[in-house]
Amino acid sequence: MNYANFLERMHNIQDTYGYIPECEIDKVAREFNIPRSKVYGTIRFYSMFYTEPTGKYIIRVCDSLSCHINESKEIVEVIKDYLGIDNGETTEDRKFTLEIVECLGHCGEGPVMMVNDHIYTHVSKTMAIEILDKCV
Amino acid sequence: MLKVNIDGQNLEVAEGTTILEAAKKAHIKIPTLCYEEGLSIYGGCRLCVVEVEGENLLQPACATEIRDGMIVRTHSPKVREVRKTLFELIIASHDISCELNCLTCSRNGSCELRKVAEDIGITEIRLSPINKGYGEDKSSYAIMREPNKCITCGRCIRKCEEVQGIGIFTMANRGPATIVTTFGDKGMGNVECTNCGQCIHACPTGALHEVYHYESVWDVLHDESKHVVVQTAPAVRVAISEAFGDEPGTIATGQMVAALRRLGFDKVFDTNFSADLTIMEEGTELIQRIKEGGTLPLFTSCSPGWIKFIEHFYPEFLPHLSSCKSPQQMFGAIAKSYYAEKNNIPREDLVVVSVMPCTAKKFEAKRPEMDGDVDYVLTTRELAGMIKAAGIDMVNLEEEEYDRIMGTSTGAADIFGATGGVMEAALRTAYELITGKELEKLDFYDVRGMTGIKETEVEIDGLTVRAAVAHGLGNVRKLMEMIKAGKEYHFVELMACPGGCIGGGGQPIPTTDEIRQKRIDSIYQIDKNKKLRKSHENPYIKKLYDEYLGEPGSHRAHELLHTHYTARGV
Repeated sequence: MNYANFLERMHNIQDTYGYIPECEIDKVAREFNIPRSKVYGTIRFYSMFYTEPTGKYIIRVCDSLSCHINESKEIVEVIKDYLGIDNGETTEDRKFTLEIVECLGHCGEGPVMMVNDHIYTHVSKTMAIEILDKCV
Repeated sequence: MLKVNIDGQNLEVAEGTTILEAAKKAHIKIPTLCYEEGLSIYGGCRLCVVEVEGENLLQPACATEIRDGMIVRTHSPKVREVRKTLFELIIASHDISCELNCLTCSRNGSCELRKVAEDIGITEIRLSPINKGYGEDKSSYAIMREPNKCITCGRCIRKCEEVQGIGIFTMANRGPATIVTTFGDKGMGNVECTNCGQCIHACPTGALHEVYHYESVWDVLHDESKHVVVQTAPAVRVAISEAFGDEPGTIATGQMVAALRRLGFDKVFDTNFSADLTIMEEGTELIQRIKEGGTLPLFTSCSPGWIKFIEHFYPEFLPHLSSCKSPQQMFGAIAKSYYAEKNNIPREDLVVVSVMPCTAKKFEAKRPEMDGDVDYVLTTRELAGMIKAAGIDMVNLEEEEYDRIMGTSTGAADIFGATGGVMEAALRTAYELITGKELEKLDFYDVRGMTGIKETEVEIDGLTVRAAVAHGLGNVRKLMEMIKAGKEYHFVELMACPGGCIGGGGQPIPTTDEIRQKRIDSIYQIDKNKKLRKSHENPYIKKLYDEYLGEPGSHRAHELLHTHYTARGV
């Protein structure tokens, strides 16, 4: 069996639905002739694949070492208060999902946050609120 | 051949031999946890690391093949130090000691972690264990998971996928957050699990065990108003004494019957009785289908793991499945009708308990289409636990006989416990019923033994009956694919567990291929020593038909002894 385009398929499904629904997992499992648990496990291995619907904006705040010592926790707390959700949760209006993540690759410019594909560096508490406001 | 030196021992091994296998040949035991013979290599637990001269890093013995001239040290000071630390890390992720829950664990007598601790000489644990706070999976009628005890060795995952060909388990997440779970975290009861319980045998910890019925059984045993009868499956008698330290394959039928009586069961009966009954019904069904051009091949329906498997994966083949209930369910149906009426016991006061080598039987007893036939299902392990808890020295008891009349059986019923046994029993009876002549050679050696798929042909009255046998769901799937591709048979026996029921998910731990073979040998020994070896010769089965059922396949027999199935899909 050739798994070369497996992850590609997963990305396509996620791009279409915003997450990977159960029925699509069933379909892919049949196509690749593997147990559906295996497809599910692969999705769960990669933290950027979702098995549940997410918000329109996925807010990722880095909490790796250099962001952590630049008080990334405070940024997280401000965002939590503002959106009223916890780490890993999605707002009721399906607009925002909040995730505390590992390194985003801008260690010299922390704290770092990411909204969908866009990176923001040197984030302050007021800046974080401004970024979220722009999304609303 | 490759030359290798392990701990100063020189030996020669074939190409492709791993360090672990070579060490075993040199009588050196390297501790392992994620390794299991017959499964693919995972190399995740790292306990088997060894020093290889010329290499900077320690190498996992299970995943490293011998190279010519290799010098290996399996228990050097460095290795032992690292191994202890690794073990401490594994233990820290495993919820033990803080609540002393080792004592109450399902594996308190068979824990592999404890064995490893002994083998590597653990004297201190420097890390405090973490209770990860995962919930228990109680979604299944048959098997329960306690993920807090899981060390993510992945043996259940590989057993389910590689041996049973299903794959309901997967790892999810990464690093310390790694867990073993099912599709969509739905739980074992909500996915395509067949309840076979082979994962329990694969698990080194108590993270997987049967859903217990023994507490309810204690309750009914102590309830004076209840009349409690028990039935024991053929495979239990050749395995139960292992739980008391006997050699695998020790036959303990009489001692087990005596122990059951001491536990307080009002009648001690035998599933073998209804196994003989199954042969009468299934044999009749086979003859009818052959004579009247019914759906062929006919598939056996004794193994509830296989039944759930076909319902999930081959629902289009359900018409091939014999409509006969399994011996466990036939027993329950007859006990609650014939036996209850004959002895004037109100149905609501009669409790039927079965002792099975099987976890899937717990699910079977709960099937709505035959709910109420059997009230509680104990595994061999659970019964052994009850006997111990009652302070009964089972192995030294005087042998006792089963109660009449549902305790009498022929050798044909005994061999139900081994792969090929149902086929052999059915052929013995079908031959004589069709031809009216006596079968000279009773032993069908072609269908015996641990070969995954077995075939035989038998001449019956001018017709060549083609039969096939598969055991272990991986082999079952292979045989089903052969049939799907056009391979023709008249009669096919399918069993979910490797080796048949003697290797069932409810049997004593460990259950290895060697132990399976010993239990099989004993099963055939019991058959050989019986005077009556053909189901239709069982005098009490004849009596049951005369007094109650009429003839095999009669209307009443259909009402009580036959069932239907559900297409489940995946």
